[in-house]
Amino acid sequence: MYNNQTARFKPLSLILLVAFLGACAAPSYGPVVEDLSVSARHSERLPSSSTNVYAKDSANGSTNAAVSSEASAIVNTAQPTLYVAPKTEVTITAQPILNQVITPSPAPALAPAPEVAMPVLQGVQLPVSDQAVVEQLLAEADQLKAQGKVTQAVIQLQRAQRIAPREPKVYARLAALLLSLGEASRAEQLALKGLTLVPNKKSYQYYFWKLIGASRSHLGDGKGEASAIFEAEKYK
Amino acid sequence: MTKRRTKNKASVRASAGWISWLWIAKFSTVLLVLGTVSLIYLDAQIRHRFEGHRWSLPAKVYARPLEIFSGQQLAAGQLDYELTQLGYRFVKQARAPGQVQKTNQGMVIYSRGFRFADGDQHGRLVEVSLQSNKITRLRQTNGTSIALLRLEPQLVGGIYPSHNEDRELIQLDDLPNGFIETLLALEDRNYYSHYGVSPWGIARAMLANIKAGAVVQGGSTLTQQLVKNFYLTDRQTLWRKLIEAPMALLLNIHYSKDEVLEVYLNEVFVGQSGKRAIHGFGLASRFYFGQPLNELKLHQVALLVGLVKGPSYYNPQRHPKRATKRRNLVLSVLAQQGLISDIQKVKYQGLPLDLTEASQVSRYPAYMDVVRQQLQQLYPASALSSHGLRIFTSLDPWVQHQADRAMVEQVSKIKQRYGDIEGLQGAIVVSHRDSGELLALVGDHNGGYAGHNWALDRSRQVGSLLKPVIHLAALETGRYSLGTIIDDAPISLPQPDGSLWKPQNYDLKSHGKVPMYEALVKSYNQANVLLGLQVGVDNVLLQLNRMGVEQVIPAYPSVLLGAVEMSPLQVNQVYQTIAGNGFYSPLSLVRQVTEANGRLLSHFPFAVRQAASNDAIYSLQHEMRMVANEGTARGVYRYLPTQQKVAAKTGTTNDQKDSWFSGFSGQHVATVWLGREDAKPTPLTGASGALNVWGQLMQNLAYSAYEDIKPQSIEYYYLNVASGKAMPNNCPNGVWLPMSKKLAPSFNTTCGY
Repeated sequence: MYNNQTARFKPLSLILLVAFLGACAAPSYGPVVEDLSVSARHSERLPSSSTNVYAKDSANGSTNAAVSSEASAIVNTAQPTLYVAPKTEVTITAQPILNQVITPSPAPALAPAPEVAMPVLQGVQLPVSDQAVVEQLLAEADQLKAQGKVTQAVIQLQRAQRIAPREPKVYARLAALLLSLGEASRAEQLALKGLTLVPNKKSYQYYFWKLIGASRSHLGDGKGEASAIFEAEKYK
Repeated sequence: MTKRRTKNKASVRASAGWISWLWIAKFSTVLLVLGTVSLIYLDAQIRHRFEGHRWSLPAKVYARPLEIFSGQQLAAGQLDYELTQLGYRFVKQARAPGQVQKTNQGMVIYSRGFRFADGDQHGRLVEVSLQSNKITRLRQTNGTSIALLRLEPQLVGGIYPSHNEDRELIQLDDLPNGFIETLLALEDRNYYSHYGVSPWGIARAMLANIKAGAVVQGGSTLTQQLVKNFYLTDRQTLWRKLIEAPMALLLNIHYSKDEVLEVYLNEVFVGQSGKRAIHGFGLASRFYFGQPLNELKLHQVALLVGLVKGPSYYNPQRHPKRATKRRNLVLSVLAQQGLISDIQKVKYQGLPLDLTEASQVSRYPAYMDVVRQQLQQLYPASALSSHGLRIFTSLDPWVQHQADRAMVEQVSKIKQRYGDIEGLQGAIVVSHRDSGELLALVGDHNGGYAGHNWALDRSRQVGSLLKPVIHLAALETGRYSLGTIIDDAPISLPQPDGSLWKPQNYDLKSHGKVPMYEALVKSYNQANVLLGLQVGVDNVLLQLNRMGVEQVIPAYPSVLLGAVEMSPLQVNQVYQTIAGNGFYSPLSLVRQVTEANGRLLSHFPFAVRQAASNDAIYSLQHEMRMVANEGTARGVYRYLPTQQKVAAKTGTTNDQKDSWFSGFSGQHVATVWLGREDAKPTPLTGASGALNVWGQLMQNLAYSAYEDIKPQSIEYYYLNVASGKAMPNNCPNGVWLPMSKKLAPSFNTTCGY
């Protein structure tokens, strides 16, 4: 079975094997941490590339939307939910409470998706905001959108909303952008909130009702659309 | 197999007696091959660690960045506080990022650059004019006005792997002047000329040690130190000694001096904060000075480099004298080696340690707890603790600071007044009125917490805090207005177990026929139960559900008096909906998540959903403002200026087990709960307990205008509250109330009935 040559090297191969296995079985090398009460050394092999997407596909409705925007960003548009621990005394649905209310956008929301045509909104001039900072952020958002950086444009508009939470123009722009991305339901609700800020501003009331009508049309709610258009006509 | 091995052993034993050239050759070959294999193995190890992911980088959690813009109202002391927390230095003239200069009109800020989720932002030199804490103007040094200055966000924590190593990666470019020189002067003078090991260095160290009669110098090169720290565990002493030098040599062959140095700078252990191990000079700089590394001055550099020898022994926070001595020794070495002049040496030795004043313990345990919970729903633990993700939250450091203070100070006042209340606990939730973003969370009576986060983990009966929901449900029917008359009379209702439920008022009296608003302002139990029964308990619960409470609550009448358990967070969600003009916005705290390089991973869009009509919510907000102006919550004006509008409600449960307060200003929604861990009675009502925490908190937040935007369908009527009818403006004892025009009260031309 073995010839002479190999037989002579048998002890060597055994020793090598033992040495090799020993080396492999040695505790894996982790960085030394001084002064540290280490309970478990972190010996996890890290993936060598970070291009994988970590986002879990969770059953509670998080939508991972692979998006091919300019940065090929993987954008998770799920609404964050606050975890509420179940109680014994009171029945609380195990589902994170805030999840069912705001439906996570089903579509890759923030991709430069085929735009929803909004001829209804064309030519409607909204007044210049008296806050310079608002106009600047809106202009930046426009610029980002023009560059195809839609997510960044939305982030910029949300930034404007935090700075000027009662500025109707921010709601108008955010709602219009969302509708153009196919997020009709969110657009409709934002426009409804915008309406509460402008009881005496006709141009805004017209704009918001038009936008609500377009959103409802996109959602297939013909009746709702008709009533929104009816409202809009009051402010034309 | 076993058989063969025994046979081999036997043959080795048999031939042990005679030694021949063959056996010498055999053994040499074995050693040679073993050595080669070891080298190959070591080599592979080295390359694997060096070229793969070198470190597991904890996710970094950031607070919201402070946006400074013209017209913005800040709280007194806020800007100074935020800049200090960010490690800005107050100097005579701001010349570099991270510096602030006070002027007569305000201050000149040289902001730092930062990579935000929406793009990179460069550092800017901006003059900020302030007038009674309001930003009046922002100007660049060339005189042009700018609209907005965004400071970089404060790093508030990390999500650490099980070994609790934390670091902030730096590159050689990030080093301040004199850093490398100082490091090499102290640790490895011939770094750029040796081969990874330095026999000359060892010899010199030995000589020095013999001279001194003690170990004063180590002969290890930086490369060897890195090998020790990076590749070897401290347990295998013999193995480690054997391979340390060859590994250092290999490292030196494979990689350039600069590459090795960069890894060393990031690996070195320089301190310990609780369980968290501070690694690398990048994090060390933040940890000790609150500044990025590139802003450090030479005396700070000397301290950091000096720390390498013994981070705990020279810990500047615990042993400032030792640390100063060590730093000054480092400076002396620099002078000896001619790297600095004696004048410079004396100058730097005379400077203070300049440690950061910002606390280094995790300052926001309750908030971080929720951030972690939320992220764990989105990412696996390993991604969070190792990929250096950047988490942008809405945490407002100023609001959080004031919330912590309010809790601690008011709890201590309560104890002064009522004596020690065993197991007294508390929680605060603060959110932004129109976005629903969580700004601050206090999960415990003393700001930090161990075990329970009382803001989230525990639910208590909410008592009268539920009454606004009854009113909203009533107003939503379109049949009720604030002037609708309700009977505050004794009620008795059969319960499922056959007993009778007889709710009573706090003062044990009945108040007869009262307008609806008064039932809320004075928090009458009987009138509110009656109103709730008229509207239907089901409808009240449905309204509560629309406002974000998803739990299943049996429709017992006792629910109307708040016999339903909710966490402070849930309560805040309900009041958020009222504050947000009837639009439910889910409370949120993570804005964006990006990779270490800035690539956007997740973005959490702002969303609203209408939960109540504009008319109904306007009336309810008006009622709740009256509660604060003249009702059970009027104590808040001990803290607030009278012109500041707030809307609020107190809550007290049976036997005063829980003291609640929730309400909102123009900008903030806040909920406070106080109670005992064991849910036993306390001496506190909503007004004598939680109200004070809420009041102090709001007092210290930026004043914000409360805009009342009246819907077109609402009109104000001057009401005779006894009759529920409108009367001429000049009549005495009337009340102006907003009502839906559809429910316009009939008009009496006389003041009486």
